[in-house]
Amino acid sequence: MTARGFLLYALSFLLLVACNLAGGFIAAALHLPVPGTVLGILILLVGLAAYGRVPQPIRRMAEFLLYHLNLFYIPAGVGVMAYAALVRQDLLPIVAALIGGTCLALVAGALAFHWTAKLTGNAPDDRP
Amino acid sequence: MSDIGWKLVDWSVAGEGTLWLALTLLAYLGARWLQGKAKGNPLANPVLIAAAPLIALLVFTHTSYAEYSHGGWVLLWLLGPATVGLAVPLYLNFVEVKSALVPMIVALVVGSVTAVLSAVLIGYALGADIETIRSLAPKSVTTPIAMGIAKEIGGIPALTAAFVIITGGVGAICGSALFNLAGVTDRRARGFAMGVAAHGMGTARAFQVSLQAGTFSGVAMALNGIATALLLPLLWLLFAG
Repeated sequence: MTARGFLLYALSFLLLVACNLAGGFIAAALHLPVPGTVLGILILLVGLAAYGRVPQPIRRMAEFLLYHLNLFYIPAGVGVMAYAALVRQDLLPIVAALIGGTCLALVAGALAFHWTAKLTGNAPDDRP
Repeated sequence: MSDIGWKLVDWSVAGEGTLWLALTLLAYLGARWLQGKAKGNPLANPVLIAAAPLIALLVFTHTSYAEYSHGGWVLLWLLGPATVGLAVPLYLNFVEVKSALVPMIVALVVGSVTAVLSAVLIGYALGADIETIRSLAPKSVTTPIAMGIAKEIGGIPALTAAFVIITGGVGAICGSALFNLAGVTDRRARGFAMGVAAHGMGTARAFQVSLQAGTFSGVAMALNGIATALLLPLLWLLFAG
C-alpha cells in the first residue's frame, strides 16, 4: 500500500470514529433517548447523500470493519463468564427467554416481511 | 519533566491488556479458520468459538474479567465506528431498500415487539428477578445500543451485553433452519429477520449467505436499534411504571 493510500484509509477510519463521537455528543447535548451510534449512522448517511457517492477508501474501510464485525463482539462474549455467578439462580428463565425469544422473533420477523411483500406485490429478485 | 507521561501509564496493566488483546485476535483468527474448515456451518460461530478458549484461559490463570478488559475494551470500542459503517451499504442499496419499504416497516414492528415481549414474558413466567428481566428486554439490539437501553430502563448494562451475545449466537445458528421450516425463501425477508432478532452477529452470518441478505440484515439491525431505543423506555413506563 502506498503512503497516500494508507493516509486515505486512516482518514476514512477517523471519519467513522468522528461520526460515532458526534452522534454521542449530540444525543447527550440534546438529551435524546437515542444511542449515539444510531445518530452516527444517520450523520454519515446524510453526508454521503450530500456528497452524492461513496469515496472508495471510505467504502473499503466500512466493508472491512463490517466483514470482521464478529471480532468486536468477542470481549462481550468473554464477559458472559463474569456474570455467570450472578445469574445462577435465574439460569432457567434466562436460557428459555434467550433461546425461545430469539427463535420467535426470527420467525415472526421473516413471516411478517414475507407476507407483506406478497400482499403488496413486492416480489423478490433472484440475485445472489 | 519529560518522564511524567511515562509514569502516568501503568505499564504492567497496559502490557497485560495488550497480551489479552493479542490472544483475542489469535482466538478470532483460529475461529475463522475453523469456520472455513466447517464450510460455513452456522454451528461454527466465530464469537462463541473464540470466547470459549479465552474464558477457559482466564479461569485457568485466575485472571478476572476486569483484567481481561484492559485489552478487550479496544475491540468493544471499535464496535461503535464499525456499526456507523452500516451507513455505506445502506446508502449504496438505498433504491432496493426503499422499494421494500412497506414489508420492512411491518417486519420491523412485528420483529422488534416479538423480541422484547417474548423475552420479558418468558422471563416473567419462569420467575426471573425483575432486574434480570429489565436486562433481558433489549437483548436483540446490538451491544452499544442495548447497553444504553438497559441503563435507561434500570437493567444491568454489562449483563445485557452478555445476553446480546448469546442472542446473536442463537440467531446465527438457528436462523437458516427456522426460515426453511417456516417456508420463507425470500433472501430479503431472511436477512431482515436476522438483523432484527440477532443484530450484528446475525448480520455477519447473513453476509456469508448473500450480499442481499446481508444488506437487509444490516438495515434491520440499524432500524431495530433506533426503534427499540425509542419504544422500549415508553413501553416500560406503560407496563411497569
